[in-house]
Amino acid sequence: MPIGQRDSDRVGAQNSPIEFRLDPASGVPTYLQLVHQVEHALRLGYLKPGDQLPKVRDVVASLAINPNTVSKAYRELETKGLIVGRPGQGTFILATLSQVALPELTGLRRSLRGWLAKADTAGLDESGISALVASELRGFYERRSGSRSSAPSGETEGVA
Amino acid sequence: MNIIETHSLGKSYGTTKALHDCNLAIPEGHVAALVGPNGAGKSTLLNLAVGLAAPTSGELSVLGGYRAGSLPALDGIGFVAQDTPLYKNLSAADMLHLTRNLNRHFDQAYAEARLAELGIPQKRKAGKLSGGQQAQLALTLALARRPRLLVLDEPVAMLDPIARHDFMATVLTAATDDGVSVLLSSHVLAELERVADYLIMMSLGRIQVAGEVDDLLAGHRVLTGPTAEAGRYDERTVVHVRGGDAQAHLLVRSTADDPVPRGWEAHPVGLEELALAYLREPGAAALPGPVPSWDADPAEMTR
Amino acid sequence: MTALTTMSASTLVKESADLRPLPWRRMAWVTWRQHRTPLIGVVALTGALALCLLIVGLQLHHAYAAAIACHPANSAACTATVAHFNGIGNFLTNGLLFLVVPPLIGAFVGAPLLAREFEAGTFRYAWSQGFGRWRWTLAKLVALGVVVAVASGTLSVLASWYYRPYFASGNQSLSLTTFNPLNPVLFEQRGVAFAAWTLAAFAIGALAGVLIRRVVPAIVTTLAVCGALTFATGGWLRMHYLTPLVTRGLNVPGASRIVSQWGSRGGRVVFTGPPTFPIYQQYCPAQAGLGKGGGAGSGNPLQCLAQHGFTFWTSYQPASRFWAFQWIEGGWLLALSVLLLAVTVWLVRRRAV
Repeated sequence: MPIGQRDSDRVGAQNSPIEFRLDPASGVPTYLQLVHQVEHALRLGYLKPGDQLPKVRDVVASLAINPNTVSKAYRELETKGLIVGRPGQGTFILATLSQVALPELTGLRRSLRGWLAKADTAGLDESGISALVASELRGFYERRSGSRSSAPSGETEGVA
Repeated sequence: MNIIETHSLGKSYGTTKALHDCNLAIPEGHVAALVGPNGAGKSTLLNLAVGLAAPTSGELSVLGGYRAGSLPALDGIGFVAQDTPLYKNLSAADMLHLTRNLNRHFDQAYAEARLAELGIPQKRKAGKLSGGQQAQLALTLALARRPRLLVLDEPVAMLDPIARHDFMATVLTAATDDGVSVLLSSHVLAELERVADYLIMMSLGRIQVAGEVDDLLAGHRVLTGPTAEAGRYDERTVVHVRGGDAQAHLLVRSTADDPVPRGWEAHPVGLEELALAYLREPGAAALPGPVPSWDADPAEMTR
Repeated sequence: MTALTTMSASTLVKESADLRPLPWRRMAWVTWRQHRTPLIGVVALTGALALCLLIVGLQLHHAYAAAIACHPANSAACTATVAHFNGIGNFLTNGLLFLVVPPLIGAFVGAPLLAREFEAGTFRYAWSQGFGRWRWTLAKLVALGVVVAVASGTLSVLASWYYRPYFASGNQSLSLTTFNPLNPVLFEQRGVAFAAWTLAAFAIGALAGVLIRRVVPAIVTTLAVCGALTFATGGWLRMHYLTPLVTRGLNVPGASRIVSQWGSRGGRVVFTGPPTFPIYQQYCPAQAGLGKGGGAGSGNPLQCLAQHGFTFWTSYQPASRFWAFQWIEGGWLLALSVLLLAVTVWLVRRRAV
């Protein structure tokens, strides 16, 4: 950085509406952080279809991360159908995240509240509920992304 | 094409054996991190790769088959040694001139542009530059040679956080733009996951672990469960154990496909945790392919 | 974990015969820029000494010309010119100043050459560049070796000119100071010896640098080795380059340097050196002035001893062998330099760390 220029002066200098940040202590793998940030930006409306994502080179230069990590994140987003890469031009947003219709969302909330009440009655505290949900969530997506057919839904698993 | 390949590589200094029987095949186009405690043989391996020392036994080839230290190897490898050695009483411009004279290829325009970008005055003596600037100058000299492989020996050890970040950003940008393969030895485990996509761990002169980071992380996980049952797990696949009287964590070589015993939980493992575990267990090594086993009948296994 | 393909040794490393080394002239700027200071020092030192030699030498030659042209030879005026000539330039005829120049050059140009690279760690930079480490070393050694040899050679040509009045024949009859060309200190400054000693010191320094790998210890070692070698050569070795001539008697013809003297009787060596006190006392006390009355001896003590059957011998090297000795000394020093420099390059080529 030449003397006298502030890093923040560069905001808006790149072609993309967003710039990535990294939370090194979060424990989440770097490429996933990038994926989540794109999805989050989409959800909040900072990114719209047609917008260009930061170039791999620019992400590498600003965050000092491995280029393959960025490529992996972009590949993951491409698999999810959210972005598309145009050779020689860059990577662009293809579609928004599927919106869930409001009545469906309300119904999901209601059933979730009921389940929470049951869990609370059973004696699970907040972190217990969190852990249970996290492990089921992980298992759900692992199974969904093509692993072997699942065993009978583990009712007999013990939980710490 | 393998950027570095070794076959039973050994190096002895007199009666001291610095490297034993090392086998490596690092593919090109990666940023490979070399990790290990002091005295593990990291610097020895790097010195052999750049041709400053010769193997005592075994074979070592670089850049797809050239002997380390041969003219094509010297041409194609840029080296920044520990403490970034520069001639302290020469100016930055002198160092550029020197490097240009000593090499077949040198991109003078790139080097000058980089120095300007970094705010390093060409006339200033190298010894008068800050630590970060010296490191960047040494890196610029190496990259201006347009190498195919960049070898860095603990390059960021003495740098402050910003200098460290800028240094690694430069290295990684070169990897992105020009496809330069990188081999760097490092003690900074926290940055490994961000920076490296190939990991080599050394201990006591031997290779403990060598492989793509994605494969390594997919091939290890942490199993948490009752300490009493911990001993039933096959020692050959357990890398590291920690725990109290009741609960234990086992870092094991196994994939997500392997069944988890009843009463146990499996967690994915991050690169820093994996590296720390191997550092703590100098005798452990990653065998090719996980070999899980559990002396219990399959009915006990759950998903 | 990736499975390693087993490569047989012969296919792992391919030969690279098609890449030619970089041209030697690339090292010219490199050598100059890195060794600017010691090179300037060498030039300054030899230049300053040359200037001294020139200034005092001109005075000397004029005084000499005046002294030999002066007639009549024993007048007061002519004696004064002789005294004037004899009194010039003592510090230079001492020659010790010159004698330290080769070791100094060896220590301060040769020793740091490689030692500094090791000490500062910069060899890790220099020897991973495309030029290659043994070629880098060879280029520097040859370039700097030639420079120091030429600089010192030029100085010794000037020294030879300077000393010429002292070696002219006929000086003794005029009481003009004469030196023996074979005298130590004087010998090393003239002819080819000076350049050869400087080159050898440089080579010793370079080898010390690569063996010791630290600048100050390498400098000290170089000075010590050069000093020891100079003493050994001047004190003994030089006198035995050719078999010394032997003559009877204790006097040697012309300007010669005595190697040893001894006396024999009946075929056996009785004493070494000139006749000793016990010998005189035993055989010719009166002639040697050792009688009861004391006082100066009567007659010739040596003739007396000769009458008792003693024969005196002197082995010596005639001054006419000056140039033969110069070539011999220059030759073995050159051979030594080449050997040491070759070993230095070989050591660098073998391994760096």
